[in-house]
Amino acid sequence: MLSVCHLYPDLLNLYGDRGNVIAFLQRCRWRGIPVDLQEVNMGDNINFSQIDFLFLGGGSDREQNLMAADLGKHRDKLAQAIDDGLVVLSICGGYQLLGQYYRTLDGKEIPGLGILDHYTEAGEKRLIGNVAIEMELDGRKVKATGFENHGGKTILKDDVKPLGKVLSGYGNNGEDGYEGARYKNVFCSYLHGPLLPKNQELTDYLIKQALKRRGMEEKLTAIDDSVEQSANERMLKRLIKGA
Amino acid sequence: MRLCLSAAVAGGKLSSLMSKFAGGRGSSLPGVVARRIYPHALRELSTQGKKGIIMVTGTNGKTTTNNMLAKVIEADGHRVIYNEEGANLITGVTACFVRYSTLTGKVEFDYASLEVDEASFPKVVKEVQPNIVVVTNFFRDQLDRYGELDKTVQVVRDSLKELKDVTLVLNADDPLVAQLGVTTGHNAVYYGIAQQQGMERAVAQTRESRFCPQCGAELQYKYYHYSQLGDYSCESCDFKRPRPDVEGSEINITEGTYIAEVCHSGECSSLNLHTTGFYNLYNGLAAFAVGRILDIDLTTIQEGLKMYSPGIGRMERFRYNEKPCFLNLVKNPTGYNEGLATLLSLPGTKDVFMALNDNAADGRDISWIWDVDFEILAKHQQELEHFICSGTRAEEIALRLKYAGVPTTKINIIRELGDAIPAVLQGEGETVYFFSTYTALWPSQRILGSLAEKEGQHAVGMSSVS
Repeated sequence: MLSVCHLYPDLLNLYGDRGNVIAFLQRCRWRGIPVDLQEVNMGDNINFSQIDFLFLGGGSDREQNLMAADLGKHRDKLAQAIDDGLVVLSICGGYQLLGQYYRTLDGKEIPGLGILDHYTEAGEKRLIGNVAIEMELDGRKVKATGFENHGGKTILKDDVKPLGKVLSGYGNNGEDGYEGARYKNVFCSYLHGPLLPKNQELTDYLIKQALKRRGMEEKLTAIDDSVEQSANERMLKRLIKGA
Repeated sequence: MRLCLSAAVAGGKLSSLMSKFAGGRGSSLPGVVARRIYPHALRELSTQGKKGIIMVTGTNGKTTTNNMLAKVIEADGHRVIYNEEGANLITGVTACFVRYSTLTGKVEFDYASLEVDEASFPKVVKEVQPNIVVVTNFFRDQLDRYGELDKTVQVVRDSLKELKDVTLVLNADDPLVAQLGVTTGHNAVYYGIAQQQGMERAVAQTRESRFCPQCGAELQYKYYHYSQLGDYSCESCDFKRPRPDVEGSEINITEGTYIAEVCHSGECSSLNLHTTGFYNLYNGLAAFAVGRILDIDLTTIQEGLKMYSPGIGRMERFRYNEKPCFLNLVKNPTGYNEGLATLLSLPGTKDVFMALNDNAADGRDISWIWDVDFEILAKHQQELEHFICSGTRAEEIALRLKYAGVPTTKINIIRELGDAIPAVLQGEGETVYFFSTYTALWPSQRILGSLAEKEGQHAVGMSSVS
């Protein structure tokens, strides 16, 4: 049995990011892998040792502040679980929160959870648009697509690897050509769309990591992915010449 | 400056004519041209009214509410001008006045009834002073255009505060709207719907506002109608659903007609709307409330509402051979969820068409479809024959359906609208239901109109789109 935990679904329900949870659950179910979902809201207890896949999304400013305050109470346990290999997907605001701090336009530093070594600075203009990236999964190069919409520019420090290279769009900051972050089994990205449904190879990779961590059979049976592929290819063709 | 105004009106009208020759709709172009020639055109045209100006803003239901309202005012014998096609940016509002104006810049009207885009509202009220403002609801819409919902609400609230001598007509069931009565300090009339029995609704819907707009504590609900609309109260301060001045209840739907009871000042009567969709009852109640404020008598309001027929894509009805077809514009999760509820309320088997475009006017980010509860469709598979997915992001809507649990054997992707629409009409289902985002709506309506017959009790007043 894999346990999926959706953090603050009531609060962080912008941009359809719950699609990531739906994708993870469905691709387990279609293969007969038993899976259950727990939704954790403000003030609830979280037992990280029982979780196999944790999803943290983003929300509007007010909701994000509420979430940051609540998650702050679980900070050490979350850091420990991540150290132990917990599989995490964190998108947009959740990605920023896992880092060191967020510096606002007037120079104020809002501390993050400080679990990953990256930081974010408010930019003058929002980075909005379709994105294509290339990432490496199990030594294979995989192209992914999505939609970014963020005011912050994120910079990775040494310990943190990017999730991928930007082929089209802005990515972390519009400057260094990187998108997202990877640290142990934590995957961070600015990509909405949502990310997992049409980038099914990443979803399956996350499922495999979760199974592996539990010492379960990690070979996944094949699924007909023609709809996923056509959705992805459509966007790649639009964004990249000759794709 | 009569000469400038006259030049602006003439320029606007000319551009409209030229655009129609070129095959365009041209609904806001005259406004663009007129404003360019004479920036005060809107201000000067809009002050010529004899009785008053009403504005309708909010996320969903603006066009329907405004068109219902115009029918109510017309039924009372007034001359009303309104932007019936839903061109609701400042250019569209200007175009509306230009269309009704003489070449010398004179426009005769008692009332102007204007739907105004939420984000354009501050700009419009700087030039046009409304006497009544209706706010329908606030839902998430086209995020990459407006930023986040809180900001939209704030923008509307701030510009309302600056207005003088205005009466607000507010949806009591939406906490984000109802708060405007207190926060702006204006005189407010509330409308709402009483608790309903036995209506099937998706339960885990996206709810926009979980928190008290006054103190930030979590709101408690006695019941929900849909999304965040319902009977709410805050436990830590005195904020709660205001008692509606106009309240609807006891709803029957028969043959595409809504029959509701509406109570106002202790007096109850029946309300017939020639449309389907629960949300349209809200629109009818808003129009009713404005009618009462304008002292229009009950029977006249009822007559006016009967004259209303749905506009393009607002549950517009067609018939293909013997098959009823419905065309439903969808712009955001809440509207889509309501559309799905309406689809499932129809008798018999259905074929479903879903067009998803990602042009600027649709919202370039299509991820909002993951906030729609398509999962409800998987539970009703037996009555749903086929889904034809179309538009610039056809594959994404197909993907969404797949992950909602709809069998892939029932899902087809046909990108071109011109191929997809004939295909869905040929389906086995007894009814065909069309969902379309904004920029796919007009071409879909045109193609559907060429293949199927337009229906409706009061098809008069439908503007040509060819």
